[in-house]
Amino acid sequence: MLQVRNASVFFSARDGRVVHALDRASLDIDANSIVVALGASGCGKSTLLNAIAGFLPLSEGSITLDGQPVASPGADRGVVFQKDTLLPWSSVADNVALGLRFAGIPARERRERAEELLGLVGLEGFADAFPHELSGGMRQRVGIARALATDPKILLMDEPFGALDSLTREQMQELLIDVWARTGKRIFFITHSIEEALFLGTNVVVMSPRPGRIVARFDLDFVRRFAAERDVRAILSAPEFADLYDEIRSLVHRPHAEADVRRMVLQ
Amino acid sequence: MTDLARSGSRASDPADRPKIVRLHPFGLDGARTGPISLATALLLLAAWFLVTHYRLVPPLFLPTPQEVATQFLAVLEDGYAGATLWEHVSASLFRIFSAAVIAASLGIPLGLAMGLNRWAKGVFDTPIEFYWPLPPLAYLPLMIIWLGIGEVSKIVLLTLAMFAPVCLSAQAGVRSLPIERVNAALSLGASRWQLFRTIVLPSALPEILTGLRIGIGVGWSTLVAAELIAATRGIGFMIMSASHFLATDVVFVGIGIIAVFAFAFSYGMRLLEAWLVPWKGKS
Ligand SMILES: Nc1ncnc2c1ncn2[C@@H]1O[C@H](COP(=O)(O)OP(=O)(O)OP(=O)(O)O)[C@@H](O)[C@H]1O
Ligand SMILES: [Mg+2]
Repeated sequence: MLQVRNASVFFSARDGRVVHALDRASLDIDANSIVVALGASGCGKSTLLNAIAGFLPLSEGSITLDGQPVASPGADRGVVFQKDTLLPWSSVADNVALGLRFAGIPARERRERAEELLGLVGLEGFADAFPHELSGGMRQRVGIARALATDPKILLMDEPFGALDSLTREQMQELLIDVWARTGKRIFFITHSIEEALFLGTNVVVMSPRPGRIVARFDLDFVRRFAAERDVRAILSAPEFADLYDEIRSLVHRPHAEADVRRMVLQ
Repeated sequence: MTDLARSGSRASDPADRPKIVRLHPFGLDGARTGPISLATALLLLAAWFLVTHYRLVPPLFLPTPQEVATQFLAVLEDGYAGATLWEHVSASLFRIFSAAVIAASLGIPLGLAMGLNRWAKGVFDTPIEFYWPLPPLAYLPLMIIWLGIGEVSKIVLLTLAMFAPVCLSAQAGVRSLPIERVNAALSLGASRWQLFRTIVLPSALPEILTGLRIGIGVGWSTLVAAELIAATRGIGFMIMSASHFLATDVVFVGIGIIAVFAFAFSYGMRLLEAWLVPWKGKS
């Protein structure tokens, strides 16, 4: 289990003021869950993810993964970035296998594992292509395969589909659900899109800016329903979906939401 | 609909290859400049020929192309100032290459270290920033006094001239490294050394190669100064000694030889770049 306890982050802005980017956020990410952080721009979502990834130390609070405090980046937390960070000089297969190379796994095995993962994200036959020969969505899929290669305990994704068109985005969401259903990975996912949050999250936390804090939490089951029935239309047209959408929408758009942390369980 | 489909089926005709296209490059990415450069060279040569043919400039200042060609053949046959042409050329090439190898093997690691490490940057920044804007001719007397008039002082002078661009470009290469790339590698479990080897070094490589190219260029332009130091061999020496006798045609032969080697080297570096960093500008 990944536990975030009362995590606060203060940055210093350029003019010397202090920015309170994250205010006493607490969060649990259990096995087999997808926790989605949702909120307007600048509410501290990336800050929270960077802290979990170990890129950013906390000002206050703690983060532990299976009881171990998180201090620096490591292969137990796979990160998928919004900007693609593939190495332009390496082939797709070598990019996917980068973490395995760091772990000292022999080339033959790396290649096999990379091809397997490329199959998982629907990119068979692209092992020897180079990143600049791929579309944005394909590159993002390579990024996911790369993060999965080291078999991390949790996958951290910062608006991974933010730059994709809506069609590709839907495909990628379904692909992610497939990967999740097959591998049972814990996932922490950041998005701007309420629909994406509702569709993907087993838990959704809504954040508000200045200071960045968690103002609401929801437990959902749309994603499990999709994994079982694979019927997007039924889910998107479900009345609970529309109700939740409106509720979260009003939360996100309320300028300074009170910290009315509440829980809601469907079914 | 059917019409559209039919007109679109052109490409499937095997005899009629589809028109292959690619992204419009920005700047000069791979555009062929060879023919243009060749035409320019011929034009300059023609201008030279005409100017000397109609005696617009006295022959002492500007010899005719024929004179230079004859002189080149003469130097090739009999040598100049007690050494064959090949001895002059190889002496110069040896100095340039040894200096380049030394400058690269010191400048690249030091530049990388200065981009990564506070102490390396702190210690070496001041001396390098202090010396590198100095013209080599200014510290040439010191080289002679300290190191004598042998090969050492010449190679050290060239090395100093080449070192700064190589070192500064390696630093710039490290600075241009996007932090996301570093974070991505760290979250895949890279150790410090693996991070350096697989991320920092390749990311800095394009800048390093540019620095090497500039460094070699600076080396050629410092060569004549280096060979002022009591040399008896070398293209630079040949030019200097010819100028003492107002043998402009030999000066031109020397300049032509340096130009040819510098050009060949620059071309070689471009091939090396295309081979080592084919991804440049594509990420
Ligand atoms: N390195 C930094 N230095 C100073 N302030 C920062 C820094 N990084 C983020 N901030 C500030 O912290 C706040 C939260 O930023 P963060 O990047 O976490 O937002 P976000 O929720 O991810 O937004 P977006 O959805 O636009 O990516 C913002 O007000 C931002 O200006
Ligand atoms: Mg962000």
